[in-house]
Amino acid sequence: MRKKITPWLFLAPSLLGVIGFMGIPFLDVIRRSFLDVMGRSFVGAANYQAVWRNEAFLLAAGNTLRFLAVCIPLLMAVSLGLALLLAGKAKEARDYGIIRTTMVLPLAVPAASMVLIWKMVLCRDGVLNQWLSGLTGELWDTDWAFSGHAFPVLTATYLWKHTGYDMILWLAGLAGIPDEMYEAARIDGAGAMARFRYITVPCLAGTFCLVGILSVVNSFRVYREAYLLAGPYPDASIYLIPHLFAHWFLNLDIQKMTAAAVIITAAFLIPGGLGWLLARILSAGERKGE
Amino acid sequence: MRKTKPAATMILVGACVLVWAPILLMAAASLMPEDELYWRYLSPLGLGRDRVRATFLPSYPSGEALVELLIRSPGFFVMFWNSCIQVIPMAAGQLLAAAPASWAFARFRFPGKKALFGIYVILMVLPFQVTQVSNYLVLDHLGILDSHLALILPGIWSTLPVYIMTKAFETIPEALLEAARLDGAGEFYSFFHVGLPLGYPGIATAMMLGFVDGWNALEQPITYLKDKSLWPLALYLPNIAEDKAAVAFAAALITCLLPVLVYLNCQEELEQGIAASGVKQ
Amino acid sequence: MRRIYKKLEAWALAIGLAAGILGGCGRNQTAPEAGSTRPVQETTQGDEEKGKREAKEESREPGAKGRYRETEVKLPEEIENQTFLWFGRGEEGRLELFTMEWDTAWGAQSSVADSFRYVCKDGTWEKSEDWPGGKAAKDRGLDPICIEYGLDGHFYIGGVDESYRFHLLKMEEDGTANELLEEVFLPAEGSTYGMVPPRIQVLENENILIYDYWEVYLYEPSGRRLLSITKDFSGTTSDARGFYENQEFVTMQDGKGVRYDLKTGKITETIDCEEVTGDREHSEFLFGDGAGGIYMAAEAGLSHINRGGTMWEVLIDGSLTHMGMRSLSLRGFGAGDHDDYYGVFSEEGKGVRLFHYEYDPDMAAVPPSSLTVYSLQDNSTVRQAASQFQSQHPDVRVEVRTAVESGGTATEEIIQGLNTELLSGKGADILILDGLPIEAYVEKGILMDIRDIMAELENSGDMLNNILGGFKETDGCVYMIPARIGFPMIIGEEKAVNAYSGLKAMTEYQGEKPLLAVENYENLLRMTAFVRYEELFGTEKGLADRDTLIWYLKSVKAIGEASGCQTSFTKEEMEAMWVSNHVAPTGIVGRSTSYDAGRCDSGLEYMDGYGGLLIPAAVRDLHPESKMVAAGSVYMPSAMAGINNATANEELAKEFIRCLLSYDVQKEELYDGLPVNKKALKAIAEVDKPYSTGVGNGDYHISAEYPSLEVRMEVADMTEHLTVPAILDETVMDMVAEGSMEYFDGRQSVEEAADGILRKLAIYLAE
Repeated sequence: MRKKITPWLFLAPSLLGVIGFMGIPFLDVIRRSFLDVMGRSFVGAANYQAVWRNEAFLLAAGNTLRFLAVCIPLLMAVSLGLALLLAGKAKEARDYGIIRTTMVLPLAVPAASMVLIWKMVLCRDGVLNQWLSGLTGELWDTDWAFSGHAFPVLTATYLWKHTGYDMILWLAGLAGIPDEMYEAARIDGAGAMARFRYITVPCLAGTFCLVGILSVVNSFRVYREAYLLAGPYPDASIYLIPHLFAHWFLNLDIQKMTAAAVIITAAFLIPGGLGWLLARILSAGERKGE
Repeated sequence: MRKTKPAATMILVGACVLVWAPILLMAAASLMPEDELYWRYLSPLGLGRDRVRATFLPSYPSGEALVELLIRSPGFFVMFWNSCIQVIPMAAGQLLAAAPASWAFARFRFPGKKALFGIYVILMVLPFQVTQVSNYLVLDHLGILDSHLALILPGIWSTLPVYIMTKAFETIPEALLEAARLDGAGEFYSFFHVGLPLGYPGIATAMMLGFVDGWNALEQPITYLKDKSLWPLALYLPNIAEDKAAVAFAAALITCLLPVLVYLNCQEELEQGIAASGVKQ
Repeated sequence: MRRIYKKLEAWALAIGLAAGILGGCGRNQTAPEAGSTRPVQETTQGDEEKGKREAKEESREPGAKGRYRETEVKLPEEIENQTFLWFGRGEEGRLELFTMEWDTAWGAQSSVADSFRYVCKDGTWEKSEDWPGGKAAKDRGLDPICIEYGLDGHFYIGGVDESYRFHLLKMEEDGTANELLEEVFLPAEGSTYGMVPPRIQVLENENILIYDYWEVYLYEPSGRRLLSITKDFSGTTSDARGFYENQEFVTMQDGKGVRYDLKTGKITETIDCEEVTGDREHSEFLFGDGAGGIYMAAEAGLSHINRGGTMWEVLIDGSLTHMGMRSLSLRGFGAGDHDDYYGVFSEEGKGVRLFHYEYDPDMAAVPPSSLTVYSLQDNSTVRQAASQFQSQHPDVRVEVRTAVESGGTATEEIIQGLNTELLSGKGADILILDGLPIEAYVEKGILMDIRDIMAELENSGDMLNNILGGFKETDGCVYMIPARIGFPMIIGEEKAVNAYSGLKAMTEYQGEKPLLAVENYENLLRMTAFVRYEELFGTEKGLADRDTLIWYLKSVKAIGEASGCQTSFTKEEMEAMWVSNHVAPTGIVGRSTSYDAGRCDSGLEYMDGYGGLLIPAAVRDLHPESKMVAAGSVYMPSAMAGINNATANEELAKEFIRCLLSYDVQKEELYDGLPVNKKALKAIAEVDKPYSTGVGNGDYHISAEYPSLEVRMEVADMTEHLTVPAILDETVMDMVAEGSMEYFDGRQSVEEAADGILRKLAIYLAE
């Protein structure tokens, strides 16, 4: 009996607060998604229909998916690469703290001022165009934050800001892998690639999950940079869900916003839920088989 | 022993340069007098068109902007202090609430655990705007709108730290806990004497992230605090008049000072934590 | 490495701590206790904190009683035409008021101003004939500048002679006057004018404090300078930012109060006072309490701080009294004999007004009901209405909330914050809709239908009904009414003026010179959108129609090319072409001078007050063949007030809107637009003002006087034909401006630019 209650004792302080400050508002969001703007009358699925047929929503959802699909693997690969390099170094000399510190600095710089720096580099009279002109001898005067270059620019600012942080997470994960495993593998004659493939990768599975989900969380925050860099209506390629939500909110279209949020949540949940169910069935089947 | 690879060093140094260059540009800009700033950065400041003359070294270094900010702007200090009042208790509260919960998620089996954890993750991913109105209503019911608590309380129960700490606790080898259990340690003893020390890297990471997030939060204070005397530092920057570009850069520099400090502090712990977990394994 | 970190960290922590401590003290202890309106208690320092806490608790208590009641003191009627000189305690400790009046009977040239003395006897103010100073000054041909009753028991009067040299006279008991410090006020070698101090103060030992604009000097009667103290600039003619008491001098430096010991000339105390000064600049008045404490009277109210204290106590909440009213200027303040205060203000057209503040223990400490007004930016007319409303309803507290500090920009987050409140069924009672998403508010039912007020106003006959008419929806609903307007006005010959009748005519204009002055393209874009609002936005699709958009962009480019417009200008170009990269919200910068200088065939001005009429009217006079007319029937409304549907104070909110549009509020010229109240508009037009101005650039120069009544009435008449409120959708305008610059630069075809804009517009409309 005591055993059963112990986890709940541990959970209680968090659970109560989360229910109060996160759970109730979230339920309210779901409730509102079935109501009219001022939350006075029930409108059924009308909001969902409105959202589903909304071209801006479809565009934003598509862009967001594309952004996630490009940026998150890229971010994870780059940060893992740096972490591996650094971990390799750190084992030899302990003073790579400065690199680590450097890499997390961007997280602390307020977006409002960072964007001014990006503009210095990316605007038509900016540093990047000056370099390119110098290198190629031709005159470059692209406004990088706008037009078709907006997507790579946004990706770059996102990477700049979050790579360091993810790198730290990877480093923590790498530190958790016992050296003995590598030593044993080396003695067994495994090469660097093999060691990476058969020791590092499996051992980092947990970290992989962590970094992945955090990257998704952070990707929603890229909006502030996008907004400050390219305005409320940027090039169509970087018109993301947060843009849409911000505009809906400005125009008091909260019913659409809540409905869209529920749809997006469901979009995350359904694949996850199905996967879980499938795993459950499979494992049940196995057990029966035994 | 592995060999030193110059290529690896190059890449790491390159990455550092990429990070430092923009930050140094900002630092240099904060040390420029207004005229120089306009001469160099007319285009990015949106005041006209002229070639950008980027530099890491101001031609006429001047501490005027910093002086203006630190000495002549009492409002800046008030906001700095507000930020501290709001963020430090929030980060502390996150630790108190999230660490035990993460322990439960990581080390126990109980019915509904996965579903509950899933809900935590969803709440973590949800953008703030979505729940903004609902949150406002909750805070209004509690009567804590327009006070520091309006930022602290919801901040404490952010689910992000729970997630990070859970992942950290999960990496603690079961064998160690088993050993503790065999020694007759209770669940709470294990948590305090095995979980917390070994999970330190994760805890420090979570707290650091929580701190930075709280420090740079914009929407929450604007929405929940009508009284401008309670506003935190993050709202200072967007409120600087457009004609004070130099002050804006200086403010940015000082704004990121404290989070960096927190990191420097956490980093030491982080490394110790990593080292500790390495040794014990 | 590590050591460097540690050092860095230590430094940073030290800075942080210092910041924290400084800021912390500042924040926690100087915070004014709004509403804790109790008389000052003479507490010792130890008790102070406790006393303050009690005060705080008391003020929080609902239904707490005790507040200073403001009543206007009747002054002799002739004061309406007089100007304030001095207010304070004179002979026998009685309150005295000195004023002056320009003697116009003798012709403007030779007149020397008279000064008058009023004394308060048992609560009534009477003119005192016993004022030899007036004659003494007049005999010497001095126009009075300042008067002071010295602590040595003598009156002093300072004035300027015809060559604007300052003379200081000391009045002796026998009525004769002696000039003092003659040398001090002589012009320094090489300069034409000497020091003309707006105020002097005489100490017990007959030493004299002379207030200059940036500095205060202490002189011995012999003319020896003992001290000079810098202080914040004071623009008023009765320098209020400082006082002397008991060998100490208190003034303002860099926005902080500082206390000097006059014996040593050293600063003994610095006092944070940011929180009690209010938003209005140069308007504080400081005076002492006789025991080392300091009173500060300002827009925010009357506050008091003890010597060495760290927390101001707010005695009178300025927003509940005339202190918070923008049409009045605070000139003097002083304590009465029985825990009461007097405040003297000057007001245009009313001369001097005196208010008495008495503590009423039975009056609710905070008015029982309150009304909140939300506005993105500070608005003087709204503030004026708030004060006016409050003086009419002493039991209502009007709180004006402005979201953005002056100079700041309204960000998405700020509006989202407001929306959160509105969606929660809360928010301010009155919304000033300038810059807010009006359409969404109307559509979502945030705003109350106020057609009853509209009907009332229309029937009153006092209003510009043509303006009101523009705010009726097709179904008869009314959601907002503007309090101020501005409109575009053209100066030019008939042919040029006619060209403004359509975008096509503007592009096809053929004259000796271009139709318009050179301008940056964004201004040109905005100006045409404003002036030709009906043409561009009158159709259902507006600019979302591809043909309309292309036509619009092409027209702007054609007009721009004729005038030599560019998307941006270099510094040299700006100087040579009289142009800048600044973007005006209306796109109209005021170009009648360019017309006058023969650079273009017409000048466009944004007319939002008679102050802006000086130059255009002068230009028109210089070109007899030219006309001055409104550009069509468009105008820009501002201070648009609507009522939040969720308000619990519907009647009060409606009353506030009536107040905002009432003659009393509208007639104040606050330089934020023309009134929509016809009576007020005429009233403002009728006032003659001694204004003149001049502008020049290189060889060109023009000077102008305040226009004649006829011209002023002409403009007043123009407003009666304005019917189209141009409320530009800033989101659309930004999209168009951003998307068209490459086209104007010649780097894109018009189709490319238009399609780029339309793509964004499509998203905007789809949302």
